[in-house]
Amino acid sequence: MNTFRLLILPALLLLMACKKEGSPTPAPDPVPSNFTLKLEHHVDGALLDYDTLRYINEAGHAFSITRLEYYISGIRLLTADSSDDDPVIPGPFYINGMASNSFDLGAVPLGEYTGATLLLGLPDTLNVTGGLPNTLENVNMAWPVGMGGGYHFMKFEGHFLNSGLPTGYAMHLGRNENLPQCVLQQPFTVGSSGGTVILHFNLNEVFRTPHTYDLSSGSYSMGSMTLMALLSDNCADAFTIACTP
Amino acid sequence: MSRGLRRLVGPVLLLVLGPSCQRNTAEEADPCATQTSPHNIVLPFYFPAPPVFSDPLTLEGMALGRRLYYDTLLSRNGPLQGLACATCHDQARSFTVPNGTVNVLPHVNLAWNSSFLWNGKVSGNLQDIMRFEVSDFFQVDVNVLRSHPEYPELFRKALGTCWITREDVARALAQWFRRLTSTHSKFDRYLRYEEMLTAQEVSGMSIFLSETGDCFHCHAVPLMTDNRFHNIGLQSTFTGFDVGRYAVTGNPIEMGAFKTPTLRNIALTAPYMHDGRFATLEEVVDFYSSGVQHSPSLDPIMTKPGTGLTIGLTPQQKADLVAFLHTLTDTAFVNDPELRNPF
Repeated sequence: MNTFRLLILPALLLLMACKKEGSPTPAPDPVPSNFTLKLEHHVDGALLDYDTLRYINEAGHAFSITRLEYYISGIRLLTADSSDDDPVIPGPFYINGMASNSFDLGAVPLGEYTGATLLLGLPDTLNVTGGLPNTLENVNMAWPVGMGGGYHFMKFEGHFLNSGLPTGYAMHLGRNENLPQCVLQQPFTVGSSGGTVILHFNLNEVFRTPHTYDLSSGSYSMGSMTLMALLSDNCADAFTIACTP
Repeated sequence: MSRGLRRLVGPVLLLVLGPSCQRNTAEEADPCATQTSPHNIVLPFYFPAPPVFSDPLTLEGMALGRRLYYDTLLSRNGPLQGLACATCHDQARSFTVPNGTVNVLPHVNLAWNSSFLWNGKVSGNLQDIMRFEVSDFFQVDVNVLRSHPEYPELFRKALGTCWITREDVARALAQWFRRLTSTHSKFDRYLRYEEMLTAQEVSGMSIFLSETGDCFHCHAVPLMTDNRFHNIGLQSTFTGFDVGRYAVTGNPIEMGAFKTPTLRNIALTAPYMHDGRFATLEEVVDFYSSGVQHSPSLDPIMTKPGTGLTIGLTPQQKADLVAFLHTLTDTAFVNDPELRNPF
């Protein structure tokens, strides 16, 4: 009898463990769960090397980059019919160009995509003072209330040779009117094995197309809606996208 | 007792006595064990959450750290014989040098820092900088503490240690530095909708928080520092200590760059800049208005649109800006009896 009692619990456990095998097999998960978002920064194909006056922009100035911080948000993966149902990765993601920028995306719907769009900055719902959690990064990106409130979308700083003299430049971008809506026209496939969605930011695009940005006549953008509008236009094609297994 | 009841007695006794026996065993096994009282620092809604530290903040830990901060025992048998932390960090002056002869960085809100000292030669968190202070700066002789009539018990109560090490001293000091949190300046009360600023202070705030003065990029609200390094154009060539961050990184672009000091209690912490070259806030504002000098490593943020390196404030704007800087004084902090010398 005692032996019988001793056997009851293991038997019950075994029965419980076996129960699943008897139930219908669940359908395979349609979405992979191991996708990572990665940001990479380069200047016309060369990986970004900070603090060196080695790059040439469209206006012909040699320039360096000493600081790069920005947000991206609202990454929309475009399907062939580009419907409102296209998957969106909302973010926002704070990017410090000098850090390693990888983010776990979790599940990304499988499929063939014709490209993507994203906001270089924050949607207007978040671009209000206090709209983001008070992390150290966010408070340092604050855009003063008296200048419109919210946050810097981007801080992009460095030096350029101005008539041979190393001179600072600070391309700061903010305010809803200047929110770059970037279009990424590279088709890519999100496969079932997971992988990495890579966003490449070509910093030289900030200075060209559709406007040739002349640092010698506008080295400091914050406070100038005119200069920020130029930067916003130029940033629209600054990103490309790829997906690797 | 019925047979059923007797069957129950054993398991019930085990359940009741088991845990208490375990507790007694644990206490016997660790004579240094202690029970501490957790402490929580309440922060205003606009403050960043402090980083997570390996040690919880406790009343006992802070009290021990406070005592060590004010105790010259810390320097006994070391190169700084006779000094305590508080010798150069006076509460009345926001924990900077009491006689105002040199400019040391104030011990205020350092919990949010990840690099320390003017050139950032120590990086990490509070415990890392305290390790440096204990081992490299004071070169604390822990035997002095071990043989002290009170410290061994204080360390046991605070940290659960029976054998004091330099690491324990750093841990206690780190807890004390977490307590040195300033959140009650007039500007804080303004941000909390508790108090109005005067018209002049509002004008100064507008200068501070706009491109007119462009102070906010480096002195970000609410910590009033971005905890980064900038060459603000104090000079055009650099030697000795003036090379700043370059001495640590060897990066030419950081030549002349120094850590942004917090502006909290700035009116109490003269002289100003890493070398104390300016005696008054008026001199500091004059410098930013028209004294910035060019060098290849001048921080880009110091280049102003259309005006070169000057922001050209009027005398009235300068006065307003100084008036705003005075709103950053936290009198509750510099008069807090819980932060005073406990001896």
